[in-house]
Amino acid sequence: MTPLLAAAAEQVKMLETKDISDLADLAPLLALLVAAIGGLGLAMALPRERQRLVAAWVATLHVVAAGAAAGVWAIGGFRSVMGGTYAVDGLSLALTAALGISGAVCVALLRPAVAGTDREGELYAMLAATTLAAAVVAGASDLALLALSISLLSIGSFVMTGYLRRSRRGNEAAIKYYVYGTVTAAVMVYGLTWWYGLAGSTRLAAVGAALPGAPTAVVIASSALVVVGLGYKAAVVPFHFWTPDVYAGAPAPVAAYLSVPPKLAGVAALARFLLRGLPGDLVGWSTAIAVLAAVTMVFGVLAMIAQRDAIRLLAYSSISQTGFMLLAVAALPHSPAALRGLIYFFFAYAASNLAAFAVVIAVRREAGSADLGAFAGLGRRHPWWTAALVLSLLSLFGLPPLTGFVAKLAVFTAAIDAGQAWLAVVGIAATVISLYPYLRLIAPAVLNRTEPRLPRGTRSAGRPLATALVVSTLATVGFGLAAQPLLAVGRHAAILHEAPAALPREGS
Amino acid sequence: MPWLSLSIAIPLAAAALAPALPRRWPRAPQALALGASALPLIFLAVTWARLDTGQGLQLVEQAHWIPSIDVAWRVAVDGMSLVLSVLTVVLFLACIAYGVGPRPLSRTAAALLLLLEGSTLAFFLAEDFFLFYVAFDVTLVAMYFLIALWGGRRRRYAALKFFLYTLVGSLPVLLGLIALFVVSEPHTFDMIELIRHPAFRDAGVGASFVFFAFFVGFAIKAPIFPFHTWLPAAHVEAPTAGSVLLAGVLLKMGTYGFVRVNFQMLGPAFTAYALPLALLGLVSAFYGAFVALAQTDLKRLVAYTSINHMGYVLVGVAAAAAATHATARRVALDGAIMQMVAHGLVIAVLFLVAGFIQERLGTREVPLLGGLMRPMPIYGTLTALAFFAALGLPGLAQFPAELQIFLGTLDVYPAIAAVTVFGIVVTAALFLRVLQQAFLGPTPRRLAGLRDLGRRELVASIPLAALVVAVGVYPPLVLTAITSASRFMGAML
Repeated sequence: MTPLLAAAAEQVKMLETKDISDLADLAPLLALLVAAIGGLGLAMALPRERQRLVAAWVATLHVVAAGAAAGVWAIGGFRSVMGGTYAVDGLSLALTAALGISGAVCVALLRPAVAGTDREGELYAMLAATTLAAAVVAGASDLALLALSISLLSIGSFVMTGYLRRSRRGNEAAIKYYVYGTVTAAVMVYGLTWWYGLAGSTRLAAVGAALPGAPTAVVIASSALVVVGLGYKAAVVPFHFWTPDVYAGAPAPVAAYLSVPPKLAGVAALARFLLRGLPGDLVGWSTAIAVLAAVTMVFGVLAMIAQRDAIRLLAYSSISQTGFMLLAVAALPHSPAALRGLIYFFFAYAASNLAAFAVVIAVRREAGSADLGAFAGLGRRHPWWTAALVLSLLSLFGLPPLTGFVAKLAVFTAAIDAGQAWLAVVGIAATVISLYPYLRLIAPAVLNRTEPRLPRGTRSAGRPLATALVVSTLATVGFGLAAQPLLAVGRHAAILHEAPAALPREGS
Repeated sequence: MPWLSLSIAIPLAAAALAPALPRRWPRAPQALALGASALPLIFLAVTWARLDTGQGLQLVEQAHWIPSIDVAWRVAVDGMSLVLSVLTVVLFLACIAYGVGPRPLSRTAAALLLLLEGSTLAFFLAEDFFLFYVAFDVTLVAMYFLIALWGGRRRRYAALKFFLYTLVGSLPVLLGLIALFVVSEPHTFDMIELIRHPAFRDAGVGASFVFFAFFVGFAIKAPIFPFHTWLPAAHVEAPTAGSVLLAGVLLKMGTYGFVRVNFQMLGPAFTAYALPLALLGLVSAFYGAFVALAQTDLKRLVAYTSINHMGYVLVGVAAAAAATHATARRVALDGAIMQMVAHGLVIAVLFLVAGFIQERLGTREVPLLGGLMRPMPIYGTLTALAFFAALGLPGLAQFPAELQIFLGTLDVYPAIAAVTVFGIVVTAALFLRVLQQAFLGPTPRRLAGLRDLGRRELVASIPLAALVVAVGVYPPLVLTAITSASRFMGAML
């Protein structure tokens, strides 16, 4: 048995004996677990025309999970649970709340697209399982748990991507995602085995205690391997290449989902494992991440310019947004404002990006294509969709008073506080350039009065899609105008830091 | 009472209310708009009475908004923002009385005018950069719709050009305010704080970068040559009321920004670049005058004279920045601010005059006009008054303003002041030529039956003309308030 497997087995044994009171702190995860398992049961039990109940079940429990995360924050405070393998702290709770709401919105986006197909209910259950995995990744403070949850996250994402079995592009996307995903996950696990070898424990706290004493070259090499796997999930350049193809090949609502929970979980894990695994900017990882952030921001924005398909455009937009999140990650060891910026950015990005996706999905349903040409005359046909599109894209760009502005301002401030002013300058430059591609999508919708010929019997948005559109757009505006509560959450957040002295001694 | 906040809130609330008015009352939108504009005028009058001319920014009204990034609802006045706010309300009252689009004023038109009015007042009264910028962008949206819905033949193209040009132009301003936020310690969007404790006390690389970011953004808005290319298209296609507001109020946002941000917050950088910027203002003034001279379309001609007059404002502010002597500085700055107000009144009358003839004949081509004085004596007199005011005749509003600019500049840059005076000769030539061609001489038969100004047109234009005369005859009417603006200039004094 490999050491890692042995460690995992040990963890499982520890979980069995652990105090049951930890479960209260894991209420958000339990809600998602119930969503997934209950959803699967309902999907099997209910006839095909009643599968919307599964959607309702999964969406409701997602919202419950978000509420539970808020409740745990308010009542329990932050602590390490399950034998120190999972951190219930500001980062994981805030992210779980964001994931819960985003997941519910994505279910609403999915429902009109997959209603009446076979295995509809199973798709919702799979979505719940994937959100659960993302929430576990967000709080994992144990190498084995991270490897496990990343695998679960990947499997769920692959299955959802390939949901349309008859679509060749969908299959290609799923295979591409699967092959690259497993390879990078394997690379990450390989890096984690090095960490385990250096620390003699799978606990992140032990790794953080051991790595400062380890040979620099080994630390750099192993950490780089870990960054590859997490960077793949978050779509960091140069591990981003799957993003546009997968988003374009998957069902559009699945693309919307892939652009939020897996990405945010990847960024959060990157933040936690670098900050706690390599304490105090060990081997200068902050600068390395800063370089990745700069490359990701600029590359994403430049690649956006050439796109003619709205989904691919949003795919590259999401890549560049990852860069802005990394800007805050890079500032983590140097600035107390960084975590606040990162957490606020999660919410801002989730709201704006889902709103933009919702409009694109609605347009694609109606016009049969997400080509920029399909948006011509949208302002005349659907003024409200157009308003949502304009607001969400300008928020992604960062125009006051929308939430994207506050988010970018918060991460720029963090970067400057951290002494990485050059990175903020690159970010501002990327932001300025990004106005052009965003306007390319807005312009035909607002200006063109020519009505494209629509196929007969076009479908309307449908109530779930409309609800998702309204919720995400209101959040895009509301998080900006009333940014204070979320910023306060970000300010009180913390990434749990366990003193190495508290570690149990483990036999090797 | 929070007079300033109410002045902003009432038009905005009325704008939200206007679309809900019942269709049965066709005159209700106009009545609502007039009422919602009259109240801010009263509130601003109260504020004027409370203004302490010995102080700078004052009467601050403040409420928490996003404390984490120090965004707050902060409004305050000094002489400059007060007179520009009053100008805003006066011009909106005139435009609501004159109307835009179908008559009587539609609910949409009333809502858009009120939205534009509220956001413009918010811009001039805001002392928080977040609010300042949001107000700036909302004015663009409202103006876009005014042009796109009720403009001329190529209105959509013109509206788009206006919107994109000024939106892109607002980006440098956004960059600049982000830079000021991150450089200030502690980080703040509070403009009063940024004036009292400037983030930059030198003219180094950082200060220069921020300075030019703001400058370019405001120069596009003003507009200053070579950032003016959006202006003629927007004006030619805009409805009359749209042009009046665009030239009378919205252009002032640019020059207001020169003073409030570039001069007050980045004074040392302005001093360092004062000479090239004064020269740019001079070039702009001459460019505007000469291009206007070549126009035959009355509205285009008037539009280009704006570039000329805004050029003088830049010369005045630059001279104030370079002045070493406190009196010279105050004279130049007072002149520049006075010029904003005077130009706002005069250009409003000029665009109304162009609109009146357009409405009657469907053309504004000067060569097609002639001898208008005979069939339309009131119209002719009004036009002559506006023309003489625009070319700077003593006794009318722009004379004291331009005189102060010249006097202030003479002290710092005698050569520039001397050359600037010749700009007036060009504007005098172009206005007198139009007057001679279109109004004097024999009346062609097809123009003989034109009716003179009606009641609606008189209600819109006569009060403005009266103000042009009043300010010209008795400049202290606005000058005493304005002077308070230059008392407190942050890092400059």
